Amino acid sequence: MVGVEPDAADGGKRRVGRPSLLESGGASLATVLGLIRSGEATTRLDIERASELGRAVVADRLTALEALGLITEGELGPAIGGRAPRNMRFRREAGAVLTAHVDRASIAVGLADLAGDLVVEHHEGADLAEGPEAILDRLVTLFLWLLEERGGKSSAWAIGLALPELARADANDGEALGPSAVDALRAWRSFDFATELALHIGAPCWARSNTQMMTFGEMKRGAGHGFRDVLCVRLDRSVTAGVIADGRLHTGAQGNAGLIGHIPTGEGSELICHCGARGCLDVVASGEAVARAAAAAAVDGRSRYLAEMLERQDEVAETDVSHGAQLGDAFCADLLGRSGRLIGESLAPLVNLLNPAAVVLAGTLAHSGEILLAAVREAIYRRSHPVVTRDLRIVRSELAGSAELVGAAALAAEETFDPSRAREWIAHATPRRQPSFEAFLVEARGRKRRFSSRQPPPPPPRPPPRG
Amino acid sequence: MSTIGLGPHGEKAFPADKLVLTESEAAAARAGQFSAAIVLHTTTSDWSRQELAGIIGTLGLHGATVTEVVDCGFDKAKQNEALNRLANTPIHAVISLPIASAEVLEAHRAIARAGKKLVLLDNAPSGLRPGVDYLAVSSADNFGLGAMAAELISPWAPEEGVVGIINYGAEFFVTNERELAFRKWMSARRPDVTLVRSRFARVEEAGAAYEKLLADNDDLDAVFVAWDVPAMRVLARIREGARALPMTTVDLGNEIVTELRRDGPLKGVAAQRPYDQGAAAASAALLGLIGRPPPAWISSTGLMVTQANLREAYKTVWHAPAPP
Repeated sequence: MVGVEPDAADGGKRRVGRPSLLESGGASLATVLGLIRSGEATTRLDIERASELGRAVVADRLTALEALGLITEGELGPAIGGRAPRNMRFRREAGAVLTAHVDRASIAVGLADLAGDLVVEHHEGADLAEGPEAILDRLVTLFLWLLEERGGKSSAWAIGLALPELARADANDGEALGPSAVDALRAWRSFDFATELALHIGAPCWARSNTQMMTFGEMKRGAGHGFRDVLCVRLDRSVTAGVIADGRLHTGAQGNAGLIGHIPTGEGSELICHCGARGCLDVVASGEAVARAAAAAAVDGRSRYLAEMLERQDEVAETDVSHGAQLGDAFCADLLGRSGRLIGESLAPLVNLLNPAAVVLAGTLAHSGEILLAAVREAIYRRSHPVVTRDLRIVRSELAGSAELVGAAALAAEETFDPSRAREWIAHATPRRQPSFEAFLVEARGRKRRFSSRQPPPPPPRPPPRG
Repeated sequence: MSTIGLGPHGEKAFPADKLVLTESEAAAARAGQFSAAIVLHTTTSDWSRQELAGIIGTLGLHGATVTEVVDCGFDKAKQNEALNRLANTPIHAVISLPIASAEVLEAHRAIARAGKKLVLLDNAPSGLRPGVDYLAVSSADNFGLGAMAAELISPWAPEEGVVGIINYGAEFFVTNERELAFRKWMSARRPDVTLVRSRFARVEEAGAAYEKLLADNDDLDAVFVAWDVPAMRVLARIREGARALPMTTVDLGNEIVTELRRDGPLKGVAAQRPYDQGAAAASAALLGLIGRPPPAWISSTGLMVTQANLREAYKTVWHAPAPP
């Protein structure tokens, strides 16, 4: 242990003697752990070579990491003259990464190991109109249930959180937002969900938008796996996108990168986008646009199939357009073809700009059959420079509704073990005890207390009416 | 009653009873002369027998043959061995009930990698991709079943009582969903009740799990057991004990029918429709084989069954009159 003496130049303390591993070894511990965790170097000799740390230091760090419970001895490797080397194995089971996805009409939670691989997940219906506190409450309940058989709250090392690109007023609704909807929006926008989760669980929380987390998930474990430059496009009620550049998720200056639904398409429309412009990709080719066109065609007879669907089930959705196209309904096929063309033409400039290795299409429209996918591909190839499309793959997503959970888990794990962060917590054996995180929790609790004390007391109950 | 539970990847449910092949699809399936194998956790329970009847009957109706039915006996190694063998067998499809998650993931992937169609019953090992590694999961609305079980036990739980949940210890989608729904219902409608839990690693240990729950909670008032087979073991222990604790469970097997008639500790069950679920799984396999991807999550709504409606419920579930 380090002895200390008072020293005015160092906050009243001066260290004497050899610094402890706690103080000086963080960087080298993180380096060695990183090599083992990534699989880049797992034997003592390989770690010495890759880290350029000396033999004694590597031996010391391996012993320390084993004592911290972060690594363990694995299989023997092949012998190359002499004794077979022992591989060290990262203990992905040493802790858990929690992951959550909040969407318009559902929430989902998952628990992953420290490699970011999902072990269990659960999805259920939810209503965002209940407000963020109710949703937070439910997420915490589910997290605690997931952790109950796995070491309790203290085993949670990190939280990955996917949040909705918040609902915005749609001028095409034709009605003003009611007071309750405005209140709900305000409540969501002013609620620091990530901090609240961190306070409840006691682990750092990383939050990104749903599309950004979906993109990361598809890159890590889905259709974009193996590529470092990916453009992932969600084709749901609205059109949004996520970008991976050189293996890293691009989030933008305010974290709002990806709102490509507002790319002008040049196609006139009587409908005004909620951003105030006309002809945005969202209003002419999103899932909502397709459903709107389908409903109109069901009523005015342009699609016999959709008219039958409307009679059977009172409404038509983009999935009905997809089925109709598969069954040969001309309107449905044309609608999907047109939507695909508009989407592809809007993506082409992005492909020129980003030169991705893969474009991954996700969401209900992306899985509506071959017509839309073929139209997107044709438009991208037609409108992009051949140099950027020569090896370009345009594919459907593979992770379905789990993409956000997978991405959030992978991102939280990656951030936790990032060397610049790991060096701070590693000697404490868990990021829960990372000094800067503990300080963050103290500050956040203080802020909450100050905010609560400033709130006016609730009004006294009204007396009962007389008579 | 509509389905309330979402699928293993958040999918909205497609009703099992609506998954029926059109005439042209049925003709294409018959022309294909497909073959399939079935891999189950057990073939000895009433649920399994019903499920098999639905699968085999539907496949047979469309000219497909069942080459093999494997009973894993809840043994993961046995399931892995069977699946790896079937991956190299000249069949078109496999319908499997994965008995765990990570431990059986690679063996199920082997089926997909071998180019065979895979339909899952009840559980989708984490990491298997819908539409890529497997065609569909066919199951009950397990979230709905858990809520039903809670509603059935609630009248028997006193104010501020203690209710025990006895559940399977393996990573299993359906039992997780039932427990989560049970807890959610109780939390919303009976926040006065305290919930406690015990788990069993093997069905044979369900009785011991109940004893442990009782030992840790001598004020236990009622019990929910995740499905009927372990429930029967718990019932036997309740009978041996000093207190006749009320109980609910899931599934309407024949032993459960006898218990419900007795007016004893078993107060009601949330019943699945295994025959319909099996038929839907077979239809999903056939659709996939003729190139028409089925919905990824196919589920049937449960039935709330008490002594009062036992006869009608039995007919619905078993497609046969209730035994006298």
